[in-house]
Amino acid sequence: MSDPEHDQMQEWNPSASHKRTTPATGDLARRLMDDMDPEVLEFLKTTVNSFVKWDLVIFFYDNPHTTDTADNIARYIGRDANVIQDDLADLVRSNVLEVHTSGNLTVYSLTKNPEVRERIKHFVSASDDRQFRVKAIYHLIRGMQ
Amino acid sequence: MERIKTGISGFDEMLGGGYVSQSANLVEGAPGTGKSTLGMQFIYNGITQFNQPGLILTFEEFAQQYYADAANFGWDFRALETANKLRVIMTSPEVSYSDLGGVDSRIHALISEIGAQRILVDSLSHFDRLESDPVARRGILYGFINSLKREGLTSLLTRESPALIGEIETPEEDVAFVVDSYTLLRYVEIESAIRKALLVLKLRSSDHAKDIRQYEITRNGIEVQSKFEGREGIMSGSPHRMADSFVEAFVRR
Repeated sequence: MSDPEHDQMQEWNPSASHKRTTPATGDLARRLMDDMDPEVLEFLKTTVNSFVKWDLVIFFYDNPHTTDTADNIARYIGRDANVIQDDLADLVRSNVLEVHTSGNLTVYSLTKNPEVRERIKHFVSASDDRQFRVKAIYHLIRGMQ
Repeated sequence: MERIKTGISGFDEMLGGGYVSQSANLVEGAPGTGKSTLGMQFIYNGITQFNQPGLILTFEEFAQQYYADAANFGWDFRALETANKLRVIMTSPEVSYSDLGGVDSRIHALISEIGAQRILVDSLSHFDRLESDPVARRGILYGFINSLKREGLTSLLTRESPALIGEIETPEEDVAFVVDSYTLLRYVEIESAIRKALLVLKLRSSDHAKDIRQYEITRNGIEVQSKFEGREGIMSGSPHRMADSFVEAFVRR
């Protein structure tokens, strides 16, 4: 009979790395994601698919009436403005953020859509759990490779 | 003249009954003197005691910090936001100035959304980085304060004072000329202990208390107490006792 714990140890054991195959890594990823809430998993895969987006989503959740420029938002989350531009644009496309102009300034704020806000709340609640964070980080790193 | 009460006992009496409706009111003090606390209390009391919804415009601290700070005084800002009585808006001076001057203002939309009548702007000091020329900066502040009045808001505007204790250097563009009231919060050293002093320096179109009062930041917020008796030079930060004979002759009568 297969011992799941033993299987998992083999996956993570560096000395056994020569035995690893791509399908096995995929299996691990699948197993890690299997027990995730499907809605949260979908949000992670399609919307919060970078660490910068994760930081942005948490920031706007904690400060929901923020309305500011990319430069200032970058400063608030401790990132470079050039780094977050694409992620802000992606979050606008996925309806997490809204973009508008004020004079000659481009300003971002959190969506007013209650359904999207609920999904964000769900994601942030899930990310309070360390196990979830470990899995999500693993997922994001795999996505970056 | 309609008055907007702060709900802070002692302070409303000093203001002759409260701030004048739709006026701009400056509160200046060194870090830790309680400017933001006084502002939050003005907003919280407005909502809970006078049914006047409010906005907090923060250029400095994260909104989540306000929620936490307010909770320490037993003020549930998140619940007030859920009840559409409060909005804590984190933004920057450039965005708020541009926004309130535009036709499709998001801040205006938030004001309308909750029917806001009060606003805390924390703090005006952040406008300093918008413009180095003091005359131009004064113009920007004028425009910003007027836009708040245009929205029908009674505003409490905080400003950092660089000096912890002692004489304060007045900025060239001094916004104190633009606002309708000017309250100063100061640290005072008395007998090797730091106390806090509050003084209403200016209140346009109204009489106000001229004495310097002690105040404390308690677990319920700011509490204004009695005036400093028998001491002079309070606003220098290092007061000294009035001559006993003078006290005997003029103060204790």
